[in-house]
Amino acid sequence: MSSTKNEKADRRQKAAELRAAQAKREARRRLFTIIGVVAAVVLIIGGAVVVSLASKKDVVAAPAGSSEYGVAIGDKSAPHQVIVYEDFLCPFCREFEAATRDDFAQLASDGKVYVEYRPFDLLSQIGDYPIRAASAFAVVKDASGPEVAKKFHDLLFENQPSEQDPGSVSNDDLVKLAVEAGADEAEVGDDIRNVARKDWVSEATAEAQKAGVTGTPTVLLDGKVYDNGRTIDDIAKNILAELQ
Amino acid sequence: MSTTAPAAARAVGVRRDDAPWFGLAARIVVGAVWLVAGALKLTHPDASIAAVRAYQLLPGGLAEAVGTVLPAIEIGVGLLLVVGLFTRAAAVVSGLLLVAFLIGIASVWARGIAIDCGCFGGGGADAGAASSYPWEMARDAALLAGSVALIALRRTRLALQALLLPAPLIHPTPVEGAGS
Repeated sequence: MSSTKNEKADRRQKAAELRAAQAKREARRRLFTIIGVVAAVVLIIGGAVVVSLASKKDVVAAPAGSSEYGVAIGDKSAPHQVIVYEDFLCPFCREFEAATRDDFAQLASDGKVYVEYRPFDLLSQIGDYPIRAASAFAVVKDASGPEVAKKFHDLLFENQPSEQDPGSVSNDDLVKLAVEAGADEAEVGDDIRNVARKDWVSEATAEAQKAGVTGTPTVLLDGKVYDNGRTIDDIAKNILAELQ
Repeated sequence: MSTTAPAAARAVGVRRDDAPWFGLAARIVVGAVWLVAGALKLTHPDASIAAVRAYQLLPGGLAEAVGTVLPAIEIGVGLLLVVGLFTRAAAVVSGLLLVAFLIGIASVWARGIAIDCGCFGGGGADAGAASSYPWEMARDAALLAGSVALIALRRTRLALQALLLPAPLIHPTPVEGAGS
């Protein structure tokens, strides 16, 4: 009787030990599995970040004043260079223009900065306004020179149509603005109305794309994209502060 | 007392027994949306950064970091949900992201900024965007509901977790006199 009782107790103990060992193995397997899965997740996310970083394109723009597709103000030998890629229909560009135009002009005439504006067509999928406006800009630049072109460029942003109705500024309106800027209607009128410089717009756009510009406004300070700020106004304020 | 899982399931009109199947459906739908959203943006980091910046909520450097890392996190969360590993943790991240997105869209809407939400690539100014804000918020809210349900659900069907990390068996501890 007592011997069977002992045997029973023995068996029970052995079984308990086996179970404990098995539980231990299982716990270790779970731990390694968890570590493995976490490692795999970290690898996948890390790999994805690497892919993302590798796909990032730096904007490499021709130095200010060397592009055929812009208009520059100030002295080329100024200590700082600013390049602004913009689309005449882009509302953020208008905002940036409004926040910086007068100060840039002042800083440029003080010899502190050389600024080049490079309009191109980013938004013509909304309407043909970016092409019409940029073509008109090219016409005015060729016929009346950079100073009138810069004035015309300013007027274009001041009279920017909304993205919802880009047709609200007609070619005749563009001619009026060009004349207001100082162009001779006899010289520029027909070419603006006929959108004669579409080729120029395509080339300017191709150049911007080649430089890696994917949005507007893209602002470069001394060759590097400048985007320090939460809002367009912040960015404008900060870049002006850097140029003072 | 049952957990909140059946309650959550009932709330969306699912019978108690269907909860694991509902969980599977939620995992697939929410996870697939994350996967697609992440994959579309992953190879266009510049557009992704521009989309984040367009919300005008984050300073330049932070917008760049978020725009670069977010697609990768979306892919990670999506993958975990679809295969059913660490589902609850992934659902928590999913829910937090969606809350952030809802706040982002609500804030641009309230500030009168018209932008493409950039949810699936793209982004930036878009004059007609205001009309799509309600639908975008509804979509994000639905995905948030799915994520919350997944946090509440203890088990879902066809989860890799059950295969790799089965719930520990409750060994019937041999207690004297028990079971006889």
